[in-house]
Amino acid sequence: MAELQYIGKEEIQNVDGLVRAMGEARYVCDMHVPGMLIAKVLRSPLPHARITHLDVTPALAVPGVVAAITSADFEEHGNFGWPIKDAYALAYERVRYVGEAIAVVAAETETAARAGVEAIALTLEPLPVVSDIHHALDPDAPVIPQISPTGKGNLCDVSIVRNGDPDPLLAECPFVLDEHYHTPHQEHAYLETEGALAIPEPDGGVTVYANNQSPFINRDIIAALTGLPPEQVRVIQPPIGGTFGGKDDVLYQTSAQVAQLALLTGRPVRLIFERTESMLASYKRQAMDIHLQIGADAQGNLQAARAVLLADSGAYASMTPMACWRATMHAAGAYRYRAVHGDTQVLYTNNGYSGAFRGFGNTAAAAAVEIAIDELAYRLGRDPLDFRLQNCLRTGDRTMTGDTITQEAGLTACLEWVREHADWDRKRAAYAAQPADAEVRRGLGVAAYFHGSGLGGEGLDYAASTLAVEPDYSLVLTCGLTDFGQGSRTVFTLIAAETLGVKLDRVHMLRPDTRTALDSGPTVASRSSIIGGNAVALAAQKLAQLLTFAAADALHCAPEQLLRDGELFIGPSEEPLSFEQVVDHARAMGLQLSVAARWQMPEIHWDFQKGTGKPYFGYVFGAQVAEVEVSRKSGKVRVVGIWAAHDAGRILYPRGAMGQMYGAIAMGLGFALMEGFRFENALPQTTNLTTYRLPRATDVPEIEGTFIPTRQGLGPFGAKNLAEPVMVGTAPAIANAVFQATGIRVRQLPITPEMLKTSR
Amino acid sequence: MRLEFTLNHHPLALEELPDELSLLDLLREVLDLTGTKRGCDTGACGACAVLVDGKFTRACRTPAAKVAGCHVITIEGLRAPDGGPTDLQRAFVEFGAVQCGFCTPGMIIAAEALLLKNPLPSREEIRKALSGNLCRCTGYQQIVDAIEATAQRRAVARQGA
Repeated sequence: MAELQYIGKEEIQNVDGLVRAMGEARYVCDMHVPGMLIAKVLRSPLPHARITHLDVTPALAVPGVVAAITSADFEEHGNFGWPIKDAYALAYERVRYVGEAIAVVAAETETAARAGVEAIALTLEPLPVVSDIHHALDPDAPVIPQISPTGKGNLCDVSIVRNGDPDPLLAECPFVLDEHYHTPHQEHAYLETEGALAIPEPDGGVTVYANNQSPFINRDIIAALTGLPPEQVRVIQPPIGGTFGGKDDVLYQTSAQVAQLALLTGRPVRLIFERTESMLASYKRQAMDIHLQIGADAQGNLQAARAVLLADSGAYASMTPMACWRATMHAAGAYRYRAVHGDTQVLYTNNGYSGAFRGFGNTAAAAAVEIAIDELAYRLGRDPLDFRLQNCLRTGDRTMTGDTITQEAGLTACLEWVREHADWDRKRAAYAAQPADAEVRRGLGVAAYFHGSGLGGEGLDYAASTLAVEPDYSLVLTCGLTDFGQGSRTVFTLIAAETLGVKLDRVHMLRPDTRTALDSGPTVASRSSIIGGNAVALAAQKLAQLLTFAAADALHCAPEQLLRDGELFIGPSEEPLSFEQVVDHARAMGLQLSVAARWQMPEIHWDFQKGTGKPYFGYVFGAQVAEVEVSRKSGKVRVVGIWAAHDAGRILYPRGAMGQMYGAIAMGLGFALMEGFRFENALPQTTNLTTYRLPRATDVPEIEGTFIPTRQGLGPFGAKNLAEPVMVGTAPAIANAVFQATGIRVRQLPITPEMLKTSR
Repeated sequence: MRLEFTLNHHPLALEELPDELSLLDLLREVLDLTGTKRGCDTGACGACAVLVDGKFTRACRTPAAKVAGCHVITIEGLRAPDGGPTDLQRAFVEFGAVQCGFCTPGMIIAAEALLLKNPLPSREEIRKALSGNLCRCTGYQQIVDAIEATAQRRAVARQGA
């Protein structure tokens, strides 16, 4: 490959950066259009209740109120959802969690909209709640969903892995770890709350600006719920203020609500969540109870594992079944085994509702198994890092599901990098020798992880891109995947410019608009750079072929005789042609300089019933070391250092990739130490960012990170994915460091001072 | 309510404002200066930060009436002499400190407030000064990088002058 101009260059900057740094980006909450109505939502104060009376007529009598809607205003009562169709645009017959939307009022002013919400006549008849997953399947438990998807009450879904038979192997193991772990609900807490603006169109359709992740799914749901044909619904992505998996289903509801109000009133309608609404109404990371049995032989070789997971989906399924499928595929961690069984049950409760969140099941699974592996290492008297090196997945190994790793795996290199850079051997020895009565104690902990790339067995993994030369010789690029801050617009711009051999500022990437971009599936699973990036590269290659054809014609040579120098096209004999000259010649030849391309992950098959098959086409790997300082008197943990190595194939956009790494680690630190979103008797215990603590600049240490280059990445230029998986290593590394510091083995996150305080 | 104050270097006199108006609503809803963000309404996130007489101020918790006679600078008021981005705004982009960008205006305000008081802060002092501002994307490290580099570049420029 010729030397790259843009890919992997340190100096490349975010294409959206300056506009945002200057405060000029207009997010949906910043958009005002003439005649716009403000919408406010009536939300359930109860975790489970029958709606015995709901009348919005009194709201309509409030001055300034223009319209009010309930589930009756939608097709099929607003029923939607994938993979399980159990959700509603507005509550139908029952409410199932605190904060669930019941009705929406649109008014001339926010004050009038609030007064309208107050005026709605609502009677709720409280129903018994399910607040503990361990009692969700009790014979007398109230059934939460309208229709049980499994026919077994609150059992929402199951996932299994059947790789060999672990039982005889475990029976022979001299060491079997057998422990339970608990990971909490976590709030995404994107700085920008949920919001949507709908504008009615003269053709009877509607245009929606929403800060959702997946515009085409949103379009199709809005269409289904409003009864419009999809082509009359247009979804446009404004700049988006962070999502982390959290802006899908909740935005589909919100978008359908404002679309329906805009259609009813003939006026634009905007709905922006207050932070309290965002905390109450949005879905969370699902809490999980994880039971692990892991056996090793006398030499410390892992033999077999059994994982039983119980996950709290809350009131609706959202993406929890898929997140828990991923959790099951990763539950025994990044190691070689002779046999593994996994059994996961997803349960309905009235604890809010849960869905997609960075790491998608693997965040919980990796937290549990990496603490478990650490425990096992200690019981075997082994250094935890050595023990991981002995057992970790390498190129050609079979994963816990029996899948063979066909691309180069960088896990060993990652572990060796963090060992060296964290000064592991020296510090571990020094901290092991700390006096037992020291008030402030330090500890070092390690975690390793693997993460299946893309959607895997969840579904067809594709994206599409268009690229066209404009009259001013600029290039307009689209892809149906959304940039909500992770930098994919920058990555796509780099890929197009690099592939075409043009200047970076020639390429203008449009934000997804369902009228101009092509359906690219959901913007999830850290798939943008890989799947979207390959689609962009393919589109750029197609356009490059057209330009090469035209240049060869103009230069009177064969296409393979052409050379490129920057934007110049050079033939064997004549004067080189500029990009503009080639475009002019192509146009004179009658060539259409616009292309579309689609890229699809090679197809794989996972048998959900048998628990066998190939769950993912490829994997990424990583390792982290955390260093903590624990005050034995207060129990407070301070993370003083994190060292992180991630196998990322080739890095496309270094600044952005490092930003993903740092951000993922900060989020993992929050998951480890502060972020449990608690429900008591199905009542949320926090509703704002004062009581739900997020990591601040003073909580996050200086991080030393690196990307280990490996070959055969599936993405453009050999890239692998990184936005989510980096997060999954952090919490267990911290928990394991806390163990070295205190001797207290915490099996429940978040780690609170109460767990570590000594009563002296 | 009548309110006179200086906004982004220009004197301003406003009539008939609601008495209860917050500074954030004044900026966003009345003046359409939407660079100042609403993140939490409880003073926890700092996305609404502005400079009031050079001091870091949470606009969501500040009644508009309180800025009478003061000089308020919002993110839109932070510009280089040519009207383009400041050195700090450029540095945020250069060091990768901007991801979703929703916290960025507040972060830049917090950084300018710090640099007014302490022109050459340590990384620890920078982190402390940012502790009233939440960022969910970046893990803060590149934000600290950008502020540290800008402080050093400004110091070099001062020495040269």
